[in-house]
Amino acid sequence: MKIVFIWLFLLSYAFASDATIEVIKKVESLPTLAVEDSSISYDDTFKLEFFKTLVSDLNVISLFNVDRHYRETHFNDTNVITDNKDMNYVLRYKMFEDDDGALNIETKLISNSANVFIKNYKISSKNVYMFVAHAIAFDINEFMGAPSVAWMKNKVIFSRVIDAKLSEIVLSDYTLNYQHVLVKGGFNVFPKWANKNQDAFYYTSFNSTKPTLKRVKLSTGVTETIISSDGMMICSDVSVDANNLLLTMAPNGQPDIYIYNVNTKKYKRVTTYGGIDVNGQFLDDENIVFISGRLGYPNVFSKKIGSSSVEQMVYYGKSNAACSVNGEYIVYKARESSNAFSENTFNLHLISTKTNFIRRLTATGVNEFPRFSKDGDAILFIKNYKEQSALGIIRLNHNKNYLFPLKYGKIQSLDW
Amino acid sequence: MKNIVLTSVVTALLVFSGCSSKDPIVDESATEVVAQPAQEVASVDTETVGKDDASVTSENGMSGADSNEMTMANLEKEMLSVYFDFDKFNITSQMQTKIANDATLAKTSANSFMIKLEGNCDEWGSDEYNFALGLKRANAVKNALVSEGVDANRITMVSYGESNAVCSDKTKECWAKNRRVDFKLLP
Repeated sequence: MKIVFIWLFLLSYAFASDATIEVIKKVESLPTLAVEDSSISYDDTFKLEFFKTLVSDLNVISLFNVDRHYRETHFNDTNVITDNKDMNYVLRYKMFEDDDGALNIETKLISNSANVFIKNYKISSKNVYMFVAHAIAFDINEFMGAPSVAWMKNKVIFSRVIDAKLSEIVLSDYTLNYQHVLVKGGFNVFPKWANKNQDAFYYTSFNSTKPTLKRVKLSTGVTETIISSDGMMICSDVSVDANNLLLTMAPNGQPDIYIYNVNTKKYKRVTTYGGIDVNGQFLDDENIVFISGRLGYPNVFSKKIGSSSVEQMVYYGKSNAACSVNGEYIVYKARESSNAFSENTFNLHLISTKTNFIRRLTATGVNEFPRFSKDGDAILFIKNYKEQSALGIIRLNHNKNYLFPLKYGKIQSLDW
Repeated sequence: MKNIVLTSVVTALLVFSGCSSKDPIVDESATEVVAQPAQEVASVDTETVGKDDASVTSENGMSGADSNEMTMANLEKEMLSVYFDFDKFNITSQMQTKIANDATLAKTSANSFMIKLEGNCDEWGSDEYNFALGLKRANAVKNALVSEGVDANRITMVSYGESNAVCSDKTKECWAKNRRVDFKLLP
């Protein structure tokens, strides 16, 4: 009997850090948190908007049961509002505009009548308030000692199709609250950050005879033409050091993956199969994961750059047409039903290259274009459901998905 | 616990300094406008057209360029889109007659134009694979045209994936209309 228990213990320990195992946490067991507004500037509409954004961010960090009631009090009151007296934590903040028009926010986290965390923030314009809300949630998450949610402060770049052959490339935060059109006019798709600093991006322009890859510097808008190809031209991935790109090109009507060196401007063909090879993702400096139609349907494969052998990575799903990689984990899109009118057509799945487990990450609608965060903590994806296009965030370690709908158009592709 | 007041200027945005204006930083719809210093320009040359020269020989009275565009637009209408089965890029036997028609036009009335084949897919995904599928469809049409005697150097290809739908209903008939290769003529 003892041996059985020891085995069970070892088994549970071995699986504890495997992201393909679903984490079931009881919502009731999370500490409670209420938010109190003590702002002295700004109108009620803006105050409520900020409150909503902050509450949403605090929900996404998945550490608290967040109370959604809007309540106001004085910043220096020693007691929390009566309604909040039973809360484990109360986050109180004060927004005020200074002489330069900048938005200042003082915050304090109160627990058991003590200020346990205090921090002040300042941003030049109130129009970008959502990034302060993300920063506050990030800091509280750090204070609580939870794994980093640095992705929350990342910028998202996506292409929005607004009509046939008409799209725009948009910069946003992960909630789509902030949106700024970076490229408009014509058909421009597949934006991809050029480096981890997110100060430049690549995209495909369809506005000349051949699809063309361009690079734009964010601070100046200076645009550089990188390379063109007949048929197809997509930047699928950028290496960690930003020196190499995995491109899908089709110089003779044959879509294949190429590796392109940004410094030498030379490229080399990586795949040679006569059908479809696309969506190359760096597994490391020498190996890639990609989507190929070599089995008669799209599926996920890997290969070493320069070698001819190819390994099948995924054995579940009828049509696995997109993927993203982080360390040992691969998230991929799989067709679940051949019934095109089913409500459950494409779902995202997570596998580990080290175990045989498969975890389904979404349940309804068409879920596609998964992209891991750099640290692997979260996955950003596109959900199309009932005529609406939304940006989704999957918190792997918390088993929770959050959706942020797009007001118009359809998200075609994204990066963060 | 010791209270430490930390002050932080949120830097996340600060890269947005380049985006402080409402305008996009790249506008592909407009041509670049470069301000020039004011400069006096020569007056416009004039000429008087004599009565004999005023009679127009061309029947429709349009300039060469306009007439070319009209011819291209009319020919494009005569060129028949080729349709494909779900997740397939092979040309079915029903489509062969359309290809034969298109090849004949390409070799006769349209023989002075470049041909752009635009591959399209239904709404089964915005990913690269769907773009590649559209391209393989365009390539299949290109190969069929070449085997009918059209010069391969006259043909360029592009794929729009699911982003150039002609029908947006959620029906099988509608999706079938979107799985197609269209013909465009270029001068």
